[in-house]
Amino acid sequence: MRSLHPEIQYATLSQQGETAQLGMWVFIATETLFFGALIFTYFVCRDAYPKEFAEAGKDTVLWCGSVNIGLLLTSSLTMVLAIDAAADGRRRHLRYWLLATAALGIAFVGVKGFEWYLDFAHHDVPSIDFILKPAEAPAGELFWVFYFVATPLHALHLLIGLGLIFYMLWRVRRGDLSPAYFAPLEVVGLYWSFVDTVWIFLFPAIYLVGRS
Amino acid sequence: MKTSATHEPALLYVIAWLVLVLLTAFNIGTAFLGLGVYGPVVQFGIAATQAAIIFILFMRLKGPPSLKWIFAGAGFFWLLFLYGLSTTDYATRQGWPS
Repeated sequence: MRSLHPEIQYATLSQQGETAQLGMWVFIATETLFFGALIFTYFVCRDAYPKEFAEAGKDTVLWCGSVNIGLLLTSSLTMVLAIDAAADGRRRHLRYWLLATAALGIAFVGVKGFEWYLDFAHHDVPSIDFILKPAEAPAGELFWVFYFVATPLHALHLLIGLGLIFYMLWRVRRGDLSPAYFAPLEVVGLYWSFVDTVWIFLFPAIYLVGRS
Repeated sequence: MKTSATHEPALLYVIAWLVLVLLTAFNIGTAFLGLGVYGPVVQFGIAATQAAIIFILFMRLKGPPSLKWIFAGAGFFWLLFLYGLSTTDYATRQGWPS
């Protein structure tokens, strides 16, 4: 275990950790605005073309979206359990929970990739291979444009989160995290759960519109 | 000196996770109920409830430092402006969609 000292600009490790957390919350505030604007655009278009959005929404793969929200909710649980293990100094548990979180994240990307393949096979990819179904005319393609902007953006965030988890695993192996200072893991946990939250809002927007 | 003074018992997180999964199942169910214009209100209301659970428990808004609430609230405060002013625009726009 390495000896821990706060960086020169901080009085204590506690102050350093709190500052790191607040920094991540500032970043999350900007991300809230980023995804918030995207979802507002969705509402505007859905309000303007309700029938087309409902028809296009029926072609989304509900089981893929549902499995994926389950995977992400579970990964938020395993991440918070990893943070608790770090706080208690249970290093083995910390590694297991982090690996479980990474596995759930990779499973999400796998399901998402398969879903994109199904969308492609169904000719639902704007500009690349898109066939407008008669019921979706004239504005159904707008829904798919939103879908193919929102879901890759979310997946990109998730891949960055996976990279951060593997970076944390490397730091755990180096002995950087201890009950005295585990703020880097708390910051990654904040980011990971926020990415989960984004999917919670994308889920009804994409998969539940037009099912009834 | 720890960055988080104490943490919640693991059981609380597991219960929160169960509630989140049940809310998801309920949300999927509402899509087939034919709620009409109320559908999105219910579905995004459930999503907001789930987000609140994650923010407060999994993202540890509950607990010190309480300054976190200001930072977390700032994003939603500005989002309120974005939604409010943009809605004013679209609600008063003539000929939309053109």
